[in-house]
Amino acid sequence: MSTAISVRGLRMAYGRAEVLKGVDLDIREGEIVALLGPNGAGKTTTIEILEGFRNRSGGEVSVLGTDPQRGGDAWRARLGVVLQAWQDHKRWGVRELLAHMGSYYDNPRDPDELLAALGLTGQASQQVGLLSGGQRRRLDVAIGIVGRPELLFLDEPTTGFDPEARREFHRLVERLATEDGMTILLTTHDLAEAERLAGRIAILLGGKIAVCGDAEDLARAVQAPSRVGWIEDGERRTRATDDPSGVVWELQARFGGPVPGLEVRRPTLEESYLDLVGRAA
Amino acid sequence: MKTVRKMMGIGVRRGWAEFVHLVKDRKEQAGQLLGTVGVFVLLLLWIGDEPVKGTDVSSGTLMTAGFLAFTITSGGLLSLAMMIAADREDGTMLRLRATAGGIPVYLIGRGVTVLCQIVLQCGLMLGIGLALGSVTFPSSPADWLTLAWVVPLGTLAVVSLGAAIGSVLPSPKTAAVIMGLPMMGAMLISGVMLPMSYMPEPVQWIAQALPLYWQGLGLRSVFLPDSMLAAEIGGAWRLPETAAVLGAWAVAGLLLAAWLLRRATRRESGSRLAERRLAAQAAN
Repeated sequence: MSTAISVRGLRMAYGRAEVLKGVDLDIREGEIVALLGPNGAGKTTTIEILEGFRNRSGGEVSVLGTDPQRGGDAWRARLGVVLQAWQDHKRWGVRELLAHMGSYYDNPRDPDELLAALGLTGQASQQVGLLSGGQRRRLDVAIGIVGRPELLFLDEPTTGFDPEARREFHRLVERLATEDGMTILLTTHDLAEAERLAGRIAILLGGKIAVCGDAEDLARAVQAPSRVGWIEDGERRTRATDDPSGVVWELQARFGGPVPGLEVRRPTLEESYLDLVGRAA
Repeated sequence: MKTVRKMMGIGVRRGWAEFVHLVKDRKEQAGQLLGTVGVFVLLLLWIGDEPVKGTDVSSGTLMTAGFLAFTITSGGLLSLAMMIAADREDGTMLRLRATAGGIPVYLIGRGVTVLCQIVLQCGLMLGIGLALGSVTFPSSPADWLTLAWVVPLGTLAVVSLGAAIGSVLPSPKTAAVIMGLPMMGAMLISGVMLPMSYMPEPVQWIAQALPLYWQGLGLRSVFLPDSMLAAEIGGAWRLPETAAVLGAWAVAGLLLAAWLLRRATRRESGSRLAERRLAAQAAN
């Protein structure tokens, strides 16, 4: 597998404020990676630099083998971009706009098939400005993938979705990755979403990637201790430890058999994440 | 070469689609048409058949030349600038920046939309003027020839200026506020509503720096007989000067537009869009 995105020592400063202080990130072709971080961590700045919308202050960036600052039309045609909350083309019809946006590409997807895949067939002749938030978002994704991009950027894709729309959207993203082999980079501040969608999660904190890996790597990296609980002398006891298995062994030896009320709780990903964010703040 | 042709094709289709959306938007269309064609028709019905004082030319013919010049200028400058400012505010320009070839297609499209609008309004005015019998078409081939270059050249000048202005204005609302009064002023002093001879000389000099005056002069030379020359500066139609000034504005406008549009499109990004949207919401 070759590399879709490679970032080395990416820095970005606005005036004196340094938002990115040396970001390193590699994304292989066909991977789904979530860029996770609290608001203001620089997720959107990072993604805008990768999309070629913003010039960086320093570092090396390669997206599909090209420096985004020098990417021409041929490079851009291989990208799909879905930004936060579009409001454009309000007067256009849904199908009309999708067909128009497809006409820029050499081998666009069929607009009707795309509308069907996104559950928008019923809105095909409706005005874009009259769509609901969730429908609008799905249309944005449809426009983002109408040119069959190799790499798709999704910036906070489910902000403002109800749970049902969110679930639908997650299914759609999974389908894009499995059926079309698309590489996807999404930003989110929702840990559950990152866990659900992404093969790997990169946490952006303090202008750097604090942790990058799957959910287990993340939990291991933050080393939030596990909690072992049991009942002794009629009382509930707990102990925080990085070695729960060792503690259980010791308890069994002490009790000479089964440990009453034994409970081992590993930190949830969310606890680990909040622990990490809290320490950085 | 093939891609240039393809971009042109997409741009023209895009511009036509935008125009159709505008025509279908009744509120938008009513506002546009009442302000220009509506006022024109009212004036025609009111005083269109009266001869201009001291001549045998109908006021309707004189007004036609003035209204056509003003329609072209306000369409190219004001409407286009507002469209571009609106497209920056709502993210249309960013959407096309995110699309391969999107920006050239966008510019071609906007040009086509504005031209269609100008043609629609001018066509309606001429048609109604002819039907009411208060406008007569030019008779000599030379006049038709003048019409054939003065309108495209004047349009090119104002369209490129409008694009340049639209790419620096922060929002469509400020576009209307900033440009509304100067447009009215230019209309008053440029001889399209009132004869130039009414104006004091310093005002005449200001007017002669603006494209609207020359657009109006060129159109008057087409629609009016030479017996009307007494009301013009220097007592002549000054067509070479018209070509030179409109040409200079067109070149300056194109250079300015190319530079400012490139700057504006390069700066578009999602977070800038979000900042502007927040500002717009705060202002409401």
